[in-house]
Amino acid sequence: MMILDALLQGILMGLLFALVALGLNVIFGVMDIVNFAHGEFLMIGMYTTYWTSVLLDIDPLFTLPVAALVGILLGLASYYGLIKYLLRGPAIAQLFGTFGLMLFLRYLAQFLFGIDYRIIQKGVLIGKSLSLGPFIFDWTKIAAAALSLLSFGFVYYFLHKTKLGKALRATSINKEAASYMGIQTDQMNAIAWAIGGGTVGIAGGLLANFYYVYPTVGLLFVMIAFACVAMGGFGSIKGVFFAGILIGIIEMLFPVFGQQIGWEFLGPHFKFTLVYLAYFIIVVVRPQGLFGWKQ
Amino acid sequence: METIKDALDFRDFSKAERIGLILFTIFLLAFPWIGTGSFVKAVMIQFLLFSLFGMGWNTIGGYGGQVELGKAQYVGIGAYTVSLMMVWWKIPFWVSMPIGVLIAIGYSFIIGYPLFRLKGHYFAIATICTSLVLQDIFINWKLVGAAKGIELPIHEHPDFLYMQFKSDTYYYYFIMVFFYVALFYMNRFRKSKLGYQLRMIKDDEEAAESLGIDARWCKIKAYTIASAFVAVGGGFMAVYNLYIDPYSVMDLDLSIKIALMAMLGGAASLWGPIIGAAFLVPLDRFLGSWLGGYKGLIGVDFMIYAMLIMAVSAYQPRGIWGIIEQFRRKGK
Repeated sequence: MMILDALLQGILMGLLFALVALGLNVIFGVMDIVNFAHGEFLMIGMYTTYWTSVLLDIDPLFTLPVAALVGILLGLASYYGLIKYLLRGPAIAQLFGTFGLMLFLRYLAQFLFGIDYRIIQKGVLIGKSLSLGPFIFDWTKIAAAALSLLSFGFVYYFLHKTKLGKALRATSINKEAASYMGIQTDQMNAIAWAIGGGTVGIAGGLLANFYYVYPTVGLLFVMIAFACVAMGGFGSIKGVFFAGILIGIIEMLFPVFGQQIGWEFLGPHFKFTLVYLAYFIIVVVRPQGLFGWKQ
Repeated sequence: METIKDALDFRDFSKAERIGLILFTIFLLAFPWIGTGSFVKAVMIQFLLFSLFGMGWNTIGGYGGQVELGKAQYVGIGAYTVSLMMVWWKIPFWVSMPIGVLIAIGYSFIIGYPLFRLKGHYFAIATICTSLVLQDIFINWKLVGAAKGIELPIHEHPDFLYMQFKSDTYYYYFIMVFFYVALFYMNRFRKSKLGYQLRMIKDDEEAAESLGIDARWCKIKAYTIASAFVAVGGGFMAVYNLYIDPYSVMDLDLSIKIALMAMLGGAASLWGPIIGAAFLVPLDRFLGSWLGGYKGLIGVDFMIYAMLIMAVSAYQPRGIWGIIEQFRRKGK
């Protein structure tokens, strides 16, 4: 029973992990750049929701459009302000550049808001839970899972059905060929960053409903997102979706599993260690990931 | 004999560089007698220590061109080996430090083997992952003090074997010796077969392989050398600070700083990591001590840091040394 409960909770959490990783993967797919600052984008999404809901006294769920907008603007600003210049340099400079962005945003948040852990106290869904037989689910997590499912559907639709989305995918498959077909790769890159920022902004807004907000919250989630992307395959939307769910399940199931068979060392404080190990093993054994096509 | 001769051979240096090296050495030797305060001396020790780390990183990260962001785990291995052996069995520093280096070498072989199947971003993230896993293990491992860390026993009298001195000056000269050993080693390394092989791999791995260079094996060797360097520094850190915990010696921030200093100064050059450390360590320390006093300004030092990283990566990925060389070429 406990295992089934952990499984369901894991799926709920996993949907949110997948949404965090989605933006990272879109950017990677289109530009071959790993955005280390992705976790900090998430953190800013969380702070946006926190402050809009606390200062304007609105329900945190209704602040999502604001979080998405801030995310999109942040993505565009990073692209036009920094990433564009990094593209001229070698890969090592690109890695360090996004790393610098990560540090900058993290310490900017620390400077502005301090190192306190904050959590939203008031909200329609906060503190309420749904009990289905023996299982109890927090409404905030259900809403987060449902809305990330919705966002996934939206991004999938955009990438596969609209003309712009098709151009974006064409760019990710072959940049040069796409530019010969009259696709403006510079614009496509900017759109990828906008999608990346927007989705992770929404994810931050959803996460802020039930998770503490603090300046270094991004590191944990960006590592999970890296693991999701590696597991699902760099550049694959479908892959990142299933990988997110799988990681959610691993993270919830292992501590429970460890308790059941009496292995104390599999306790909750090691649940993210397993995620890092999973990343390491997956990239070594199967570098293209489960559904990936990019090496 | 031949190797030592190679290591001390600075013939390919320009005149300016040779004079610079001599002046720099005189400055370092004379520094403790200039009469600066203990704070400045501590900054100098940090500078030499981070130059040592940076030179180590430079083998794999600079000459090899692999973005390595997990060096903190080797700082941790060096520091923990020295501290634990001292606390448990009272083994002196000069025995435990080489053992720590050997452990670091062994460990780097074990994880280097799978790591170097990966390239680029995958490799960079994987090095962070391995470092975080080790840190998580040490945070939760009761036997080694868990998150509380370890305090080294303090001896009443100064003791050379245990590296315990009353004055920072002694520590300063010891780290200076390590620094020069590292510098001469790097001088040999850049002209060695492995050094040339690594640069070839960095430029074009496929071409290197087609010439019969075993790229993966070369990278593992360079990675091991880097780890050994860093473990020496880690051991020194333990006896110098007399206290270690997983957050101070294994943190991701430390890995980033090591890579960043080498990168900022100029990767794949002998002077790069030293210039980078000479620039960033004082900046970090002085900014920290100025701004740390104002409660409201926590983190501003890191913001300045971060802006520097972004500016360097965007405009001159070859770092400060790259800028100097650019000017030199223009002058000619």
